[in-house]
Amino acid sequence: MAEATVITDPLTAAADRLKMLTKVMTTKAAIAQTPKELVWTLNKAKLYRYIPVLPKEKRHRIPLLLVFALMNRPYILDLRPGHSFVEYMVNEGYDLYLLDWGAPGPEDKHLKFDDYTLDYMPRAIRKLKSISGVEEFSLLGWCIGAILTTIYAALRGDEGLRNLILLTAPLDFSNKQDLTFARWTDERYFDVDKVLAAFGNMPGEMIDYGAKALKPVENYVGNYVKLWDNIDDPRIVESWHAMNSWVTDNVPLAGGVFRQLIVDLYRNDKLMRGEFVIRGERVDLSRIRANLLTVIAEGDHITPSCQSEPIMSKVSSADKELFRVKGGHIGIMAGSGASKNTWPHIDGWLGPRSQ
Amino acid sequence: MADDPTRDAKPFDPMEPWRGMRDIYMDAWGKTMVDMVNSEAYAQASGAMLDSYLTISAPFREAIEKAMLKTLEQLAMPSRADVVSIAERMTNIEMRLDDLDAKLDKIQRLIVQAGVAPRPQPGKAPQPSKKTKPAKKGKK
Repeated sequence: MAEATVITDPLTAAADRLKMLTKVMTTKAAIAQTPKELVWTLNKAKLYRYIPVLPKEKRHRIPLLLVFALMNRPYILDLRPGHSFVEYMVNEGYDLYLLDWGAPGPEDKHLKFDDYTLDYMPRAIRKLKSISGVEEFSLLGWCIGAILTTIYAALRGDEGLRNLILLTAPLDFSNKQDLTFARWTDERYFDVDKVLAAFGNMPGEMIDYGAKALKPVENYVGNYVKLWDNIDDPRIVESWHAMNSWVTDNVPLAGGVFRQLIVDLYRNDKLMRGEFVIRGERVDLSRIRANLLTVIAEGDHITPSCQSEPIMSKVSSADKELFRVKGGHIGIMAGSGASKNTWPHIDGWLGPRSQ
Repeated sequence: MADDPTRDAKPFDPMEPWRGMRDIYMDAWGKTMVDMVNSEAYAQASGAMLDSYLTISAPFREAIEKAMLKTLEQLAMPSRADVVSIAERMTNIEMRLDDLDAKLDKIQRLIVQAGVAPRPQPGKAPQPSKKTKPAKKGKK
């Protein structure tokens, strides 16, 4: 009987591991748990206000609005308790708002940067001002969200924008050699109109494939090998589960925005060259006067640093800082080191400028 | 009692050398693949594949769309275009409502500033969360 136990134990352990593997790969982790209230909606967009945990006299006066990318869910900013930027900032006393763009449907295929920056953002900001009772505010944009906030800051920055934080901002598209996406979407190989005629919006699965294909072995093999190696470590499994839940929750990108992104930005670098036009208004980056913090991820393969650095010399902000942090495109905000590096730096910069 | 020096030592894992080899191989494989996807040839090949897929599937997509449209018409049900049109109109209505909301906010602010009306009660802004004990059940 004792021998039987010895033989069964490794089998039981293997079965348990397989069970755990199946569970984390087929279920969604409990994410985005910081208490919040829905305060405004328009079409698919939603504005949330996080419930403050500090009394008003201990909070920062200027509210902060988080704007994430259009083709991913914004809850990466609030991944799980204890590992959430949102939770961290609420605990530090910020009056925090999050703009969730939602998933565009077929009726939204015409939506462009113009609509997001001149219809949706100003309306959400008006609501934010109305609730907070403060005319000034700070904006934090991440990835495509940083393009949106930059455009907004250039066109409507004089409407109370005090501080602008750009995370891994893809703004400069002149260095084609270092941009794999630019090569893939070159007009010789990629017919953007044909793709949009077939799908309307750019499907989330195709965007996901594009992001993962930049590092195919790491994303399609290494990621799962890492999970298998650490399947007995609940801490790592929990973290992997939460991140996988986010990565596999894809959102399509509105056709109009996708076309502008490829044709106007990736191919013609219009934003940096000062030729990008939004509803007849030229986006002049020198009109940005808000205090500016640009955060660059040194290991970012999606937005290399050459895309984020040049904005520093284009803006008119007297108070500006470039902060480099070790990590990847997502890792700098959601990785294990984020709470020790990126978050405290953002808080340290924003806190004194939010009084 | 003397401490056993082997007590805290990591037990021998026969798979460890294999894992090391695997990681070295995957690292090399990963670098090769990154170089490959960064090449002009990959961009050309993936573009050609996507283009072929779109060209081949276009007639099927069109046929399905036409058949679906006819079926919905015969069943007296709205088509995708009808639903899209309603959704667009709904968004326009939402925008008008938002404009009205903005105007009302402005009027309210002006009234408060002019001191014509008493200061309105604070809005629905959430207050700091308080840990509350669950309500005790009353005795029946």
